[in-house]
Order: sequence, then structure tokens, then C-alpha cells
Amino acid sequence: MNRTLLYVIGGLMLAGIIHIATVIMIPYFATADAYSSMRQFGRDGAFHVLPEARAGHEPLVDLDPQMLYGVCRFSLEDGPIQVTADLPDTFWSVAVFDRRGRNAYSLNDRSAGRTEVDLVVITPVQMAQLRRNPPEELETAIVVELPIETGFVLLRVFVPDDTMLPRARDALATADCSAML
Amino acid sequence: MPPLLNIAIAIVIAAGVGLSSAWLAVERGNIFGLVRIGDWTASPETGGPDADPYAVARLARTGELPLGAGEGLAFLAESDHDGEPLQGDCTYRIVGQTPAARLWTLTAYDRTGRLMTNAAQRQGFDSRAILRHNDGSFEIVASPEVQPGNWLPIATPGTFKLILRLYDTPLTTGTQADSTMPDILRERCR
Repeated sequence: MNRTLLYVIGGLMLAGIIHIATVIMIPYFATADAYSSMRQFGRDGAFHVLPEARAGHEPLVDLDPQMLYGVCRFSLEDGPIQVTADLPDTFWSVAVFDRRGRNAYSLNDRSAGRTEVDLVVITPVQMAQLRRNPPEELETAIVVELPIETGFVLLRVFVPDDTMLPRARDALATADCSAML
Repeated sequence: MPPLLNIAIAIVIAAGVGLSSAWLAVERGNIFGLVRIGDWTASPETGGPDADPYAVARLARTGELPLGAGEGLAFLAESDHDGEPLQGDCTYRIVGQTPAARLWTLTAYDRTGRLMTNAAQRQGFDSRAILRHNDGSFEIVASPEVQPGNWLPIATPGTFKLILRLYDTPLTTGTQADSTMPDILRERCR
């Protein structure tokens, strides 16, 4: 009997390890995470305007139907990227997410202080290399230094009513997130 | 007891308890760093780079897009002021004020997090399009039946949830003293 108790305790300890391992492994096997879901909108390295979130037609989960969204999946493996956009004079925000959907950097129209977005997303290693010979782009852009290889940029624009929709859609459609040259 | 049976017991316990507890912890939602104000909860850390492994696993499973600190904070309500789950066949009054924010939106989702189809084509309200009392407070009625004033249509046989998103709010920088959230009061049920 004592021996069985020992096995039960051993089983529980093993359960703890399995619990931790499972939680850590889940992201590696997930297929419905935000990054993977965004593949449906088009190629990487460009912004795609999401269809408006309406009942029965939600491009992604957990979207605010009063916002219009643009997403861009990016990779920093071949160098830094530059995010540019000219957004309407209303509430908007830019967020950089890592591959796992964690929000690594964000700012809104008020904290940006202007309606143009000019953001350079760069790894610390690339930044160290660029410091020796900084290009002009870096002088005016907001530099976001992140130790990530892949991720996505999300633009949100508040659309108070449908008359504002075309302006918001144009702004998101002309947003750019290609490689910084 | 034969040793093989003992080993079998250990394996069953390890797999059963380990997997089910992991599943529960991830499905039940965010456990750490919850901010609770009135009937509403938010998890500011889920949106940040320091999200704990449970939050990361949950993000991977759901595909949610958390608001970052520079964007705002989302508050979730799944139960009313008395702690009862929000039922699709009941009418609720959402009354009071929100914490300071440049913009907020209130959206209703069904149990699975989907928007609900309704004839009014209305999924939510925003702070600029809402009718208010003279003191700045407001009253939204979430109901399956047409209501005067700020009517938020609900169309689900099961439970539903409300998300109040505060955009550009000082709450994200940790100042949450004397912040009040609206109360969710149940009126009547069909």
C-alpha cells in the first residue's frame, strides 16, 4: 500500500512537469493564432485592409467592429522594415506584435503627435551595425528596436460612422511596411 | 499490488492531472495580473511583452489581438452586478461612468466571442455616439427586445459577454485610483 502511495506521489510530480510542458508547447502547435490566421489576407511584407467586422463575417476574432484594421506580417531576417502611413485625423494606433501575438510596441495618434506614421522596426544587432553609418531614414523615424525575427504590425483606425469608411480604407490600403532601404 | 499496476496508476495520474490542469488553466483565461473594477476585469499584462506562459498559450489558442499599453485597455464582463452570468434572454441596464479615456467602445459578443446578427445592425456603442445624461453619465440597455435610448441588441440563446475598450487611457500607465466602471444591472428575463 505504501508503495502505491509512492507511485501516486510520483505520478503527481510527473503531472506537474506535464502541465508546464503542455502550457509551454501550446503556442508551437497552435494553428488559429493571430499570426497564422493573417496568412489568409495576402502576402507578407505588405499591408492588407481587413474586411469590416460584421456579425457572421469576422476576419479575426476579438475585433472591435468600430475600428478598421490593417495588418502586415513581416520578417526582419533580411533587414529592418519601415512602416509608413498617412492616417485620418481621428483615433488610430499602431502596434507591433511578435510571432506569438504579444504586443511588443504600440503608440496612438496622440502620442505620435501627427497623422503620419513613420516607424522603423529593427533588431538590436541590425541597429548596432547601422549606428556606424546611420541612413537618413533613421533621423526622422521612430526607431523600434525589438529582438524578434518575425511578427506583424497592426493598424487600427476608429471609424465613427460609415461616411468615414472610405478615407480610413484608403489610408490603410496605402500604408507600407516594406524593407528599409 | 503488482508493480505494473502501480506504474499504470502513476502514468494515469500524471497524464490525467497534468493535461487537464493545463487545459483548464489555459481555457479558463487569464489568471495572473487581473485588474478588477466593479463588474469588469482586464488583464493589462496580456497585451505586453511580459505576458506569462498561460497568457501566451491562450493568445495562441484564440488568436486574440490584445491592446498594447500605448493603445488602451479592454475590460470584459461576463456576469452582472450580482455575479450572475449575462443571459441572452434577459434585459440589462449598463449605467454609470467609465474611467478617463479619449475614446471608448462597448461591444456585445456571444459566448464564443462572435458578433451577433441583429436587424438594427448594431454591435456596440462608442463614447462619441451615445446619448448621455446632463452629468455625463450614460445608460445603455442590452436587451433582446427593442428599447428606447441607447439600445444594445442581444441575439443569442445562451450567455453573452461585453467588452468595454478604453482607448488612450491613463489606466495603462498604472494610475487607476478612483476609477469607476458602469454597473450591469439585470432588469427582467423573458
